[in-house]
Amino acid sequence: MPEIGRLAVCLALLFAAYSVVTSLLGGVRRRPDLVRSGEHAAFAVGALVVVAAAILLRALLQHDFTLEYVAAYSSSTLPTQYTVAALWGGQKGSLLFWALMLSLFTAIVEVQNRDRNRALMPYVTATLMTIAFFFLSLLTFITDPFERLPVAAREGADLNPLLQNYWMMLHPPSLYTGYVSAAVPFAFGLAALASGQVGDQWIRTVRRWALFSWSFLTLGNLLGARWAYEVLGWGGYWAWDPVENAAFMPWLVSTAYLHSVMIQEKKDMLRVWNMVLVLLTFALTIFGTFITRSGVISSVHSFTQSGLGPFFIGFLLFAIVVSGGLLVYRLPDLRTPATIESFLSREAAFLFNNLILVGIAFAVFWGTVFPVLSEWVRGVKITVGPPFFNRVNAPLGLVLLFLTGVGPVIAWRRASPRNLRRAFTVPVLTALGAAGGLSVGGVPVGYAYFTFVLGCFALGTVGQEFWRGVRARQAMLHESAPRALSRLVSKNRRRYGGYVVHVGVISVFVAIAASNAFRIEVTQPLKRGEEMQVGKFRLRYEQITTSEDAHLSRLTAQVSVWQNGQRIAMLAPEKRFYKKPQQPTTEVAMRSTLTEDLYLVLGSYDRDSDLATIQAYVNPLVSWLWLGGIFMACGTIITMWPAAAERRATAYALGGARVPAE
Amino acid sequence: MPSAPGGPSGARAIRAPRPLAAELTSPRHPSLARGKAARGSRVFLLALVLATSGAIAATQRELEESLTCQCGCGLTVHSCNHLQCQSGEPMKKEIAERLAAGEDTATILAAFRARYGEKILSAPTFHGFNWFAWLTPFALLFLGALSLTRVLRRWTRETPVPAPPVATPADDALRRRLERELADLDREP
Repeated sequence: MPEIGRLAVCLALLFAAYSVVTSLLGGVRRRPDLVRSGEHAAFAVGALVVVAAAILLRALLQHDFTLEYVAAYSSSTLPTQYTVAALWGGQKGSLLFWALMLSLFTAIVEVQNRDRNRALMPYVTATLMTIAFFFLSLLTFITDPFERLPVAAREGADLNPLLQNYWMMLHPPSLYTGYVSAAVPFAFGLAALASGQVGDQWIRTVRRWALFSWSFLTLGNLLGARWAYEVLGWGGYWAWDPVENAAFMPWLVSTAYLHSVMIQEKKDMLRVWNMVLVLLTFALTIFGTFITRSGVISSVHSFTQSGLGPFFIGFLLFAIVVSGGLLVYRLPDLRTPATIESFLSREAAFLFNNLILVGIAFAVFWGTVFPVLSEWVRGVKITVGPPFFNRVNAPLGLVLLFLTGVGPVIAWRRASPRNLRRAFTVPVLTALGAAGGLSVGGVPVGYAYFTFVLGCFALGTVGQEFWRGVRARQAMLHESAPRALSRLVSKNRRRYGGYVVHVGVISVFVAIAASNAFRIEVTQPLKRGEEMQVGKFRLRYEQITTSEDAHLSRLTAQVSVWQNGQRIAMLAPEKRFYKKPQQPTTEVAMRSTLTEDLYLVLGSYDRDSDLATIQAYVNPLVSWLWLGGIFMACGTIITMWPAAAERRATAYALGGARVPAE
Repeated sequence: MPSAPGGPSGARAIRAPRPLAAELTSPRHPSLARGKAARGSRVFLLALVLATSGAIAATQRELEESLTCQCGCGLTVHSCNHLQCQSGEPMKKEIAERLAAGEDTATILAAFRARYGEKILSAPTFHGFNWFAWLTPFALLFLGALSLTRVLRRWTRETPVPAPPVATPADDALRRRLERELADLDREP
């Protein structure tokens, strides 16, 4: 069976190459038959990669330890859900998984555009299939996931215990989805450049894909933070590790794009800039993979390092040269007269928002690569860790939060003093009220303070928009408040969906500021029955229990949590010992509320003295980080949901006579 | 290029294996059961806990956050969660002792740097080439803001300002009507 998988990968590689060549030929010579043939080959690639992935998954589930990959990343005692996750747990599998998603997305793009964008499609297909060709050639020539061991292993080495976690089931697929789908806007951008159709048709076509990619990058980042929070057991969720940075950078640039593209849609300007952002987002996804795979920049999260670095850097350079070259070639066509009437306009606010977002992306990039640069230039290895990233990004983040409040309500074109008064009186008063309240409440003036104040300002603008919209509908159409709200949102999905996303972003900002500034940490060795105080909680170490199965052994401390003399919870932090990789992990125990998380780690346990060391953290408002993620996801769904007219058009196109190509 | 004194060799000695990982979960705890050393570490931990408030704890935390743990965890000494970490724990202890002996932050950081090399510091120093690390993002942002401002100024100059927009009075009329109707609504029983 594995041989069939290998064959499928090799065939997929050939089909991808065929698809690239025929699509390009078809595009250049204007031969629709060749273009169709290229598209059919892309479908074949999709089918073959699905077969290959299914065969690898089957091998994992059947514990076929004759395969190197299965033996290296799973074991016979690994729970089924993690056996499935092993498909992307190791390098070879994750590359195959990448190819799988890419070819599936390609198939969707081909179906969506079978009667649309016909001038762009040859180049879109060629671009996507070039990327697929790259990944498939790695799978064929460098890291074969179907490689057989000379002698079958009796047992697998097991999946890295840190990856045996619920969130690890979700985090990599969503991040990969975000990464891989960024290839679609890239392909359309490149196709626009190649075909010379650089108007806003491609922009409109990729709008949903860009949002889709952005939302999965958001989810991927937040799920990764959640995983780190639960698994790594140091009380935090973000360590500015190079691999985290690699996932964060494309998100920042993609966010910038989603804002600046609105200016292009409205005023047909910034064509070059938007093109650059789309190309850069894709380049950063490949750069991220390069960091994860190459080991050039040391990272604790690179679970799978290898010698693939040079291939990725080569591919990255290739992508930059081709897209940069095309961009320069088409510059004359991309230039459009820019019309901006005033600094006090939404256009200007969006441009400054872009500057800050790309600035943060650069700061993160710079901090990530600076150790390498320092070693080159000075021969001295240095560390660029959290203090650097926090110090550099905190002020930029505050400016961004301020602009989050300004952007949605400042007028397009030119804001009159009257418009400014009308737009900002309520938010500014909200912010001033918050500032007063925080000062009275004794919150020290610092980053957290300003984050809360600016958060209230931004929330004020969003709240005001909803309030005014609902009131207007109620007044004009005599609707009830809930109906007015739902109609308001459904009639302006992009706008109000965007506001909901903003609420999520504000929530994330506030959570980060609060949990960094006001965290309480206490570490204490306790004997049975002894107590410790952490913030407002009193903890009593009750007892320790052990349990064991074939896969792992557990050491569990029972800790009762008391507040105001009442027992409010029983928490059980664990140390686990995974038998096959002979590796211990920490299982955090948490009591989460909207105001704070009580986060317990069993540091160590000494049987002789019955002394358990408990690390306890009170992390304020961390729940709002995850809630912010949910807000952002909901906002994106609202934004992407097709309007009724669109749905009718699609149904018509699919059911009856086809709409002619635009 | 000269490397920091005592860098590589010192670092290698500490970097070697991952912390006594298995030890943490083994039923017997050699490190804690090791009599004096164990008591010492317990006393140290208690001392840490007792000093949770006040400037000493803040300085201790600040110093721990300024140093990178050398066990390979990639986190700061403060964040490294291996309680018996061969790298982080001795460092925490040494920081506490040095602080108790009255040393200031700069002296303590210099001592660690002399022993492990510059990579022990969790952020680039404010010296020489490292200024590049700190200043480049801000310099580029400043340049970006400057050029954006200039471009915007040029665009706003080149963009003809339309005659007083017709929309405003209409807007106003609409708003007046809206306000009137809202007021009417409020008046209704």
